[in-house]
Amino acid sequence: MKPTVEVAHLSKRFRLPLDKSTTLKYRVTHWRSSSRYRDLNALRDVSFDIPAGQFLGIAGPNGCGKSTLLKILCRIYKATSGSAVVNGEFSAFLELGVGFNPELTARENIFLGGAVLGLTRRQLRDKINEVLAFAELEDFADQKLKNFSSGMQVRLAFSVAILARTDLLIMDEVLAVGDASFQEKCFETFKSYKREGKTIVLVSHDLPALEEYCDRVLLFNQGEVIADGPAAEVTSAYHRMIAEHSMATAESRSAMSSSRGRAQTAPKEVEIVSVGLFDGSGTPTWRFDTADPMTLTIELLTHRDIGDFVCGIAIRRADGLLVAGTNTLLDHVTVSSHAAGGTIRVRYTIDSLPLLAGGYVVQVALVDVGGATTYDDADPAASFHIENTGGHVGVLEMHGRWHVEPGADVHAGSTAAHTAR
Amino acid sequence: MTTVAETGRRLESIARPKSVVQRNLNLIVELAITQFKLKYTGSALGYVWSLLKPLMLFGIMYLVFSVLLKVSAGTKPGYADFPVQLLIGIVVWTFFAESTTLAMNAIAGAGDIIRKAYFPRWILVVASTGSALLTFAINMILVIIVTLLIGGLHLSWRSLLAPVYFVELAVLVIGLSLLLSALFVFFRDLGHIWEILSLVLFYGSAVVYPFSRIPGFLQTFAGLNPVAQILLDLRHALVAPQIPSMASSIGALVVIPIVLCVVLFFVALTVFNRLTPRFAEEL
Repeated sequence: MKPTVEVAHLSKRFRLPLDKSTTLKYRVTHWRSSSRYRDLNALRDVSFDIPAGQFLGIAGPNGCGKSTLLKILCRIYKATSGSAVVNGEFSAFLELGVGFNPELTARENIFLGGAVLGLTRRQLRDKINEVLAFAELEDFADQKLKNFSSGMQVRLAFSVAILARTDLLIMDEVLAVGDASFQEKCFETFKSYKREGKTIVLVSHDLPALEEYCDRVLLFNQGEVIADGPAAEVTSAYHRMIAEHSMATAESRSAMSSSRGRAQTAPKEVEIVSVGLFDGSGTPTWRFDTADPMTLTIELLTHRDIGDFVCGIAIRRADGLLVAGTNTLLDHVTVSSHAAGGTIRVRYTIDSLPLLAGGYVVQVALVDVGGATTYDDADPAASFHIENTGGHVGVLEMHGRWHVEPGADVHAGSTAAHTAR
Repeated sequence: MTTVAETGRRLESIARPKSVVQRNLNLIVELAITQFKLKYTGSALGYVWSLLKPLMLFGIMYLVFSVLLKVSAGTKPGYADFPVQLLIGIVVWTFFAESTTLAMNAIAGAGDIIRKAYFPRWILVVASTGSALLTFAINMILVIIVTLLIGGLHLSWRSLLAPVYFVELAVLVIGLSLLLSALFVFFRDLGHIWEILSLVLFYGSAVVYPFSRIPGFLQTFAGLNPVAQILLDLRHALVAPQIPSMASSIGALVVIPIVLCVVLFFVALTVFNRLTPRFAEEL
């Protein structure tokens, strides 16, 4: 059986004009100068097949080429070189409610959106009540779309998008929207598609969802496929990538903030100059193992006498989960600024990192004791990455101990007593 | 049979019609109707404006050319029923002007849908012509009924040719629209250029005066312009038989404006198809 999607050596280059020359005056006055362009390689030599019936996830940071890929699959963009072939009918859902018009009613928009998908008015007329029921909008059929909440618009758009029967469904970032119960419905729909053997391509930042539903995930970065495999494997590669990336951003940020001080018109009372992570021997690093010692060093510049203030830190996992957070006030440590031009170095030392493999981001904030004013904050201030060493899963190293007693005195029916106690 | 509760949980998909022609036609109709509807939402008089505007233009032009300049005073055959000629001229011109102006924005103003959904792009242009055509059809029917009642139309066997001229007009307008809509994406000055060209066409096509008013040697030149030819032949077919047709005005050269319409259509189609892949990136 032929794969549903065949992509071979696909490249896409955008030529971005450095100055847009769409007026006559410009053309006349600049007719000799060859227009200057900046080339942007959105996709570089991408090849993959999607076998029929596969649920493929596509992940990657913004601007990595994933949306460009979808647009080439949908024939909206033309490939610069290589090929992308879809065998069979497809339905694309690149944005919610394409073709919808806010001035029209829900009913009229169903006809319009359906027509964009290739469905006729007669087909839609028989179906319209079902669509409204699925979107939970029966009572709003003749209301104008502009009066709908964004959640209602999303429900209507999704309901229309899944109307056309196709072999391949291409969806971009649809899971990020809608309320929880409707998301559930979306996933039920995806599941039923899977049972029917349809092929689905889903672009999403929602890593847990990709892990739960996708058979396979492609990870894109800077126009290339950098990982291709089972969802769990690829998502952990993605975590690693995010950690490395935010490390780089934090470095450039601290470089910026040190040069920023002079230019600023209204200087902050206290300012974060740099944030660094160090291992047990005091060497800066961003790679740690579980149970390693770690020191977080925050260097501050004081600009005014504000007395005591609070320095807070938070550690987040790459997907945004708040893992831990504390501040100097909670831990009864005093930090204060008494003069302009002073410097303070704050160190937070962890003897044994209780975190498991993954990418983590550190956030630092300086606030007043009452918590009302934020003097400065840095997010992400730093990031680090923990390699999988022990094979434990989850976020936390529990530091628990096992005891095994062969031949111990075990009573039948003791389970109930155990849980009660 | 599914119960209501089940209906809300699941949505059975529908197979698209096999025929691509049917799908495209359906999309054109939906888009044209939407555009037509949206043009009038929010205004109190709605569609009536589409009738009022040409009527106002008619009133002004009638005052200027008929009363002040006494264009219609002559008894020459070309001047027969001048007010009706003027009315038909203005309704046809309004369609020509409205549809080409709408078309200018048919692609450039549809960036959102072009970047996010795939369907043949010419559909957007034809749909915009369609929405102007809807206004034109209603206006034309009203004008024909009214002038028939007051006796300004002289229908006969030659009136059977009128639909042919309407088709020619549609080919001309769609051809121009394809060209304008595609070029406008890359070259925004076209909007202003077209405004000026339209004005030249308006006065060069004998919309507001009888074609026979044009001096002899210039008649041949003006008659090569398809708008003038369609208009004159429509007047000959509908208003009065004594109005000379374009064939009797410029002889065998009459094939030129007709061929021009067809050639323009195919050239426009080629240009449009050549530029289509670049729309999504440019918008």
